[in-house]
Amino acid sequence: MLDLRVPSGWFFTVLGLILLGMGIFAPDTRAALTDANVNLYSGLSMLAFGLIMLLLAWRASRRAS
Amino acid sequence: MKLAPVDYTILAVYFAFVLGIGWILRKKISTSGDFLLSGRSVPVWITSLAFIAANLGAQELVGMSASGAKYGIMTAHFYWIGAIPAILFVGIFMMPFYYGSKARSVPEYLKMRYDEKTRTYNAFSFAVMTIFSSGISMYALGKLLQLVLGWNFNMSVLVSAAIVLVYTFLGGLTSAIYNEVLQFLLIVAGFSPLAILAVAKAGGWQGIETRLSAMTLAGGISGRVMTHAWTYMGSPQSNPMGVELFGMVAGLGFVLSFGYWCTNYLVLQRAMAADSMNSARRTPLIGAFPKMFVPFIVIVPGIAAVALARMGIGYSIPVDANGAPNYNLVITTLMAKFYPAGMLGVGLTGLMASFMSGMAGNVTAFNTVWTYDIYQNYIRRNAPDRHYLNVGRATTIVGVVLSIGAAYIATRYDNIMDLLQLVFGFVNAPLFATFLLGMFWKRGTGHGAFSGLVTGTVAASLTWCLTVAEGKGGILGHVHTFPSAMAQSFWIALMAFTSCLLVTFVVSLATRPRPAEDLAGLVYGLTEIPVDRGSWYQRPAPLAVTVIAILLVLNIWFA
Repeated sequence: MLDLRVPSGWFFTVLGLILLGMGIFAPDTRAALTDANVNLYSGLSMLAFGLIMLLLAWRASRRAS
Repeated sequence: MKLAPVDYTILAVYFAFVLGIGWILRKKISTSGDFLLSGRSVPVWITSLAFIAANLGAQELVGMSASGAKYGIMTAHFYWIGAIPAILFVGIFMMPFYYGSKARSVPEYLKMRYDEKTRTYNAFSFAVMTIFSSGISMYALGKLLQLVLGWNFNMSVLVSAAIVLVYTFLGGLTSAIYNEVLQFLLIVAGFSPLAILAVAKAGGWQGIETRLSAMTLAGGISGRVMTHAWTYMGSPQSNPMGVELFGMVAGLGFVLSFGYWCTNYLVLQRAMAADSMNSARRTPLIGAFPKMFVPFIVIVPGIAAVALARMGIGYSIPVDANGAPNYNLVITTLMAKFYPAGMLGVGLTGLMASFMSGMAGNVTAFNTVWTYDIYQNYIRRNAPDRHYLNVGRATTIVGVVLSIGAAYIATRYDNIMDLLQLVFGFVNAPLFATFLLGMFWKRGTGHGAFSGLVTGTVAASLTWCLTVAEGKGGILGHVHTFPSAMAQSFWIALMAFTSCLLVTFVVSLATRPRPAEDLAGLVYGLTEIPVDRGSWYQRPAPLAVTVIAILLVLNIWFA
């Protein structure tokens, strides 16, 4: 059975990397009403979330085998 | 609003993942039970999030943020009063009968407990309702994308429907459930930064409170009502919803919400797909935790928008062609102001995801009810299982096509939430009385249940036809005027529930009861109640107590 943590982990890792890339290489992409580098921070959180999901899935599969 | 290439990339990544999950799960399907019921094998954390996500459609997100801007934090009652108590009740008290009876669907439970006609009545009304909900959701999304991004209405409706069709067709209920979890996570990721940014910009909750209390709403109501959920509920005139305490707690909190969460197969199907009785009971309870906090990402941005619009910083509440505020656009206009290219893609993809999870929920529930309760029952009874698997697959296509039809019907109505409440009021409200008596009163009979359901639906329609609110209803006469359409729908639900309860009770006593041995596993008193073991989070009761404690804190905090 598919461990859902794997695809959702990858999904948020990919999303996080895209946003993080935007936040670092295009830091001037800002929205009208905020001074924060929204892409950088949300990219970092999504990347962290994705990696945690992957880590949990990896540990679960190691325990199962 | 214009999207950048990076936004389209994110949307494409999302499409690839949902289709990919469907593709991987297609191998798991070998029987109709795998396709329509997930083979009762899904882990509890997945069913819990799917339980919440299937209900979190696009019309919910858009409608709730719109209501947030229109009515303020009172909108949270749709969650705190209008969902959580019912969710706890179904997990603790009703799931032992649903899951334990081995019924494949909610209508099938009615067949086991009452009789064939009660099941058929419920199966048909449910099938119609799911198609409508799905169509309304589709319409909401198509119109929004058209207004905000200038996308072609037909195009966005058809493309997103096609994607839902493909992954549901491939992996059945399991694929729908797995994707709902991914979609739920994406909705949170796409919406919570908006809540944080908008509230921070408006000066925090304190800043919002200060700004809003300075304003006056229509009808001379003080803007303070926007940040208080309970304080202004004494009379319908003192709050913008036009609802008083009794109508809110009894109509929404009891009848409508219990009617929805305790009997609606769309959400219950997720719990019934769980891998054990304990998981099935904990599905709603664990789902209640994220559900309590959904108001913070959908309603609070709407409230913040009103405060921001008063600050003169370049944000204003969107208006329609006639200059009236169009609250349905609040969430997307906020995104345009707070999200740069990149995050904007995530936000809009989250919106798409909510639409898809709502629609897939409807389609999979429709599938199962059609295949098992209608097709297998009336059209072809004793076919090999392979045949029902193919029927289930074909029904997926039919369901999606019918939803698209319903989307075009929905274009004739303005306020999506009102229409939904109206439909729920007619169909769902009497239903809870039927299940309540069915599960907790041995004496209830099939004739009683059926006549009660019919009376309830008739009572609901009559109430609507004889009363007027906001210029709607009153087709047959004008007996009473409600201060708002919302109050009207709450009272319609109350009328339906009460009449169904009374008629079921009286007719049951007048008809022959079913022998007790037929009712084993279906009714309280004739069913073994599961004994719960393990740590507190593995047992339903302590989980429910924890939810109630948090719920009380939230309600007191925002009173």
